[in-house]
Amino acid sequence: MMNNLQRIQPPVFPVEKVVIPEAGALRLNNGVPVYLIEAGTEDIMRIEFIFRAGQVKEHLPLLSSTCNMMLSEGSLNYTSEELNGLLDYYGVFLHQSAEKDTAGIVLFFLNKHIEKVLELSREILFRPVFPEQELGALMKKRLHWYLVNREKVQNIAMDQFFESVFGKNHPYGYQVSEHDFENISPSHLADFHSRYYNPDTMAIVISGKIHNQTAKLLNSYFGYDNASEIKKEEPFNVLKGSELKKFHINKPGTVQNAIRIGSSTINKRHPDYPGLKVLDSILGGYFGSRLMKNIREEKGFTYGISSSLSSLDLSGYKVISTEVGQKNSKNAIEEIYKEIKLLQTVPVEKDEMAVVRNYMSGEMVRMFDGPFALAESFKSAWEFGLDNRYFHSLSEKIRTIEPDEIIELARKYYNIDELYEITVGAE
Amino acid sequence: MINYKRFSLDNGLRVVVHEDKSTPLIAMNILYDVGSRDEDPSMTGFAHLFEHLMFGGSLNVPDFDTPLQLVGGENNAFTNNDITNYYLTIPSENIETGFWLESDRMLELDFSNKNLDTQKNVVSEEFNQRYLNQPYGDAILKLRPLAYKVHPYRWPTIGMDINHIRNTDLEHVKKFFFSHYAPNNAILTLTGNIGYDLASKLSQKWFGPIEKRTIHPRNLPIEPEQTEERVLTIERDVPSTALYKMWHIGPRKSNDFYTLDLITDLLAGGESGRLHTKLVREKKLFSEINAYMTTDIDPGLIVVQGKLMKGVGIQQADKSVCEVINGLRSKNEINYEMEKVKNKFESSTVFSNTSVLNKAANLAFFELLGDPGLINKEVESYRNVSHKMVMENIEKYFIATNCSTLNYISTRIKK
Repeated sequence: MMNNLQRIQPPVFPVEKVVIPEAGALRLNNGVPVYLIEAGTEDIMRIEFIFRAGQVKEHLPLLSSTCNMMLSEGSLNYTSEELNGLLDYYGVFLHQSAEKDTAGIVLFFLNKHIEKVLELSREILFRPVFPEQELGALMKKRLHWYLVNREKVQNIAMDQFFESVFGKNHPYGYQVSEHDFENISPSHLADFHSRYYNPDTMAIVISGKIHNQTAKLLNSYFGYDNASEIKKEEPFNVLKGSELKKFHINKPGTVQNAIRIGSSTINKRHPDYPGLKVLDSILGGYFGSRLMKNIREEKGFTYGISSSLSSLDLSGYKVISTEVGQKNSKNAIEEIYKEIKLLQTVPVEKDEMAVVRNYMSGEMVRMFDGPFALAESFKSAWEFGLDNRYFHSLSEKIRTIEPDEIIELARKYYNIDELYEITVGAE
Repeated sequence: MINYKRFSLDNGLRVVVHEDKSTPLIAMNILYDVGSRDEDPSMTGFAHLFEHLMFGGSLNVPDFDTPLQLVGGENNAFTNNDITNYYLTIPSENIETGFWLESDRMLELDFSNKNLDTQKNVVSEEFNQRYLNQPYGDAILKLRPLAYKVHPYRWPTIGMDINHIRNTDLEHVKKFFFSHYAPNNAILTLTGNIGYDLASKLSQKWFGPIEKRTIHPRNLPIEPEQTEERVLTIERDVPSTALYKMWHIGPRKSNDFYTLDLITDLLAGGESGRLHTKLVREKKLFSEINAYMTTDIDPGLIVVQGKLMKGVGIQQADKSVCEVINGLRSKNEINYEMEKVKNKFESSTVFSNTSVLNKAANLAFFELLGDPGLINKEVESYRNVSHKMVMENIEKYFIATNCSTLNYISTRIKK
């Protein structure tokens, strides 16, 4: 009976239109916006506090990230040891992060501890004291981490990529050097904190099991602090890429070259962005992409190669990344350009379009599955002043984009003469 | 509480199903009971190479990834000392494609020289990327043979010599497949938006016709008890000196497992762990330090590893680590600290089990240990650990003759 089984692909059902839930929105007494996303089966919560306090606001290298890391190193009412001990005692996972545009904290916890979590979050966000001793210890540690990271060809290449694309004079671009770790004082941090960690620039995103009293609790902990009076003049920096397109950094003793090829590009606010996202996927955005198929699966030059497209508030960038054996470095670069040229000249065939459409639709299902993914997706649009309409237009574009438009986009955004090519490794 | 149902097919395939209607996805996990411990010492790295070959096409499917992507799915795999684990997530309406793909590569691989040659290169580049082109990357290659002299855990999953896989051929590949890849040597778990009836029907339809294969019972050499302290010192051009210390522990199913897990959390769980608090924050001897337990099925290891701050001597660093561990011998009550790591463990277990993929992998691993229900008992087992048990285990395992140390000395600091 079973032996007659035809081992052919079962019917393929189109991935149904992605369900994108709307976030609830409310404001605290002082005007702080709160977004609520109800999801999941467990009585847990993820709460994120977002500030416009990323690198783009700093006038000294490392200031934004150091300020963020120092938030949990001692507050008005708790030492750093007490803060960290309490967070662990209540089973809370705290992630601090400072990106290029935004900075903040995310906490994951069991709902039964929400009051304690809110109290500690307020201490961390609005009552930090930046003790000198803790700062000194942190900077020593960071210098160690930095020195280790600078041994890795992929980090050297990425740092250089940002410098080449965005310039030495902009926080998006400049590289950190050893002496930067000595330049930050507690007063720099207090100043940066009072300017950029403020209720009037904060947003709160909550996801998980939301209870009736959640909003009330938030208001009691975060609804009564008001914005500081300090005038926030925006730092003025010029985004300007380097004239030099090809850049090799010699790193003796390495066995692989790191390669980064890309340039600045449009961000999520641009109408071409969803189409460019599809193009990026075809080129190197998933396991079945052209770069993976050619350079890993066909030639075996590398363990992995990918391309990605990222949005920044003031710009955006696309980058192809790989590490390859030194003897194959030149060949790999040639193949990368060959794949780009193919996308500019030959229409993508129907079968491949079907695969990338369905893969990306599946990816969108994953982007909205569960409380944590939902919150991250929400933030990724909100940060750019966008809402769910962005995801609907992406979903629509994935389903309807035609091969002609792919060619057009590849010609418009992948001009090979404008791409930076960074390589790091032994010569 | 994670509810599940389990059944076996006539060919020996074990299946565990957990339904979760809150997600539109299904996670499908296939665990093969084969890892690097099952390799011939002259052909190490094979289980992991095999993981790569499993994506190169099978009897009726020329390419594994494309049909899966066509139905919105995504997949990956990992190999460790004990198991090779394949997993995918897929929108529920297309789950049958997952069954078709996974059953076909269990049925038979498309053994081709082209695929083998490419994957040999890919794995060589993986070896270079992970172990040679990273500072401290080769430490793991030194640690295992220091701790194990006989048991196959003495080589890392990537292999003890990359030439072993460079030199292999299709005959070996075929032999390995038919002696380890079989329904009666695998566990299938399905979690997410799938009911028991559909899971059972599809498992029967796609996996049922695959015949049982002969699997030889595992007969691994037993690692003799270590009787004297081992120290290996190597020099490398890295920014700072690193210290690695390992102690032998019992197997995964030993009664001491959760006590030792709790001990590593007292030492290194979170920012408030003892090693971090005392050696990074207070004494500033290390820039980072961590402790963990390998979760190997056969007798495993507790590992402490850290990077030294500039100017700190390796002896001083070593001594300070031992002092922190010995602090746990003290009879002074540590109720608050015990409660802290227990709460953190509970919280971390709840969070881990919010993902269908984690649930699928965990259920499969616990089924391999003999009882998927362990997934619901972990928190209780961990909570039952007492201070007395902690002291006894410190006494039992953390002794010099059971310890191996790797001093990874920076030549830049020395100069």
